[in-house]
Amino acid sequence: MKELLTQEKSIYLQIKEMIENDILRDILLEEERVPSTNELAKLYAINPATAAKGINLLVDESIVYKKRGIGMFVAAGAKEHIRAKRRESFYDTYIRGLLTEAESLGITREELITMIQDTNHGGETYDR
Amino acid sequence: MTDKQLRADGISRSYKSTEVLHSVSLTLEPGKIYGLIGRNGAGKTTLLSILSAQNYASAGAVTLGDAAVWENRESLSHICFARELNISADSGLSSIKLKEYLRIASCCYTHWDGSMAARLLRDFDLNPKKQLSQLSKGMLSMVTILVALCSKADYTFLDEPAAGLDSIARENFYRLLLDEYTETGRTFVLSTHIIDEAADLMEDVLILKEGSLIYSGSTQSLMDRCFHVSGRIEDVDAAVNGLHILHPETFGRSKSVSVLLEPGEEISDEYGVSVQPMSLQKIFSSLCGKDGDSHEKPKAS
Repeated sequence: MKELLTQEKSIYLQIKEMIENDILRDILLEEERVPSTNELAKLYAINPATAAKGINLLVDESIVYKKRGIGMFVAAGAKEHIRAKRRESFYDTYIRGLLTEAESLGITREELITMIQDTNHGGETYDR
Repeated sequence: MTDKQLRADGISRSYKSTEVLHSVSLTLEPGKIYGLIGRNGAGKTTLLSILSAQNYASAGAVTLGDAAVWENRESLSHICFARELNISADSGLSSIKLKEYLRIASCCYTHWDGSMAARLLRDFDLNPKKQLSQLSKGMLSMVTILVALCSKADYTFLDEPAAGLDSIARENFYRLLLDEYTETGRTFVLSTHIIDEAADLMEDVLILKEGSLIYSGSTQSLMDRCFHVSGRIEDVDAAVNGLHILHPETFGRSKSVSVLLEPGEEISDEYGVSVQPMSLQKIFSSLCGKDGDSHEKPKAS
């Protein structure tokens, strides 16, 4: 939960995605307590209602669950759930924009595939 | 803690022959943080002073629950208006020491928290033995904030609390406000010109334009409806055809507009224009700037 907020996207969506990111990266573990809406509000200087809106989206997707009187916790299986969900949206989030940009630059599919194949694992820069 | 709403019904205010507020109606719910934004002279301070019965309305009424606020000691014990302090040599306040000023405040506000005041004086590094005229603009802003927080009033209005503060002091103020809000659930109305910094604090926003309230409602839903659309002139025109457009600008072959969507409307994506969300400050400029639509009145949602 240490990423910075941007102007590009609604704050409550950013809060939701930051918690998801922390779960994906094992910063927040399953069955661990998620920061409360008040803690998030103070951490990011945002309205608690905004933080709650982000958390509620996670509850709706069963990524976190509420323990009455104690707080919100990361659900068992949450990490796998987020991975599956993001894998599903990977095409829309990354590939579609990549293809549009490549097309307007005149980069062919073959060139794209070569770039991907020649890129070292770990995402190091493509060496042209 | 009161569970009553603070309501303004059709309040207008004229100074001599000039009407500065035109029939403003609004409802403040307990337990929310509101932002009040408007250009200089839009009537923000007049509105807040009428809501707190420090000024009278030429027409209309302010009520807390069922009771009028005007000259009502009980109602007023729930309301604090922390004004921006302007100390000029002839204001009568200039020779008053800070500790005397706070003593007066403690008498005015029934629920005054003296120990919080002592703590904030230390946190803000304010010397209570100094005269108000010896305090810098930033220090006077801190005094305003201190009075607002320590009043413990259910409805607390802060008029430009951040104006004199440097960016670090402003961040401290936002955190302090959230601390108090999350602990107590008091209602705060925050007027500010530093809109984008404080936008994330405001659950609801009130926008005043030339004495009229042109928006009152959820900050998020207003932001969900406003977009900046740009691209080639003919593409932009086609994409936003029939939509509510604010602030069109052309530059060579390119054009940008701000769009305010009504429920069910969307911006066509077949013309390859770029569509970006807008910050509250940009939305405010589109609605209230010189080129803004003068008939603009987005419906609250």
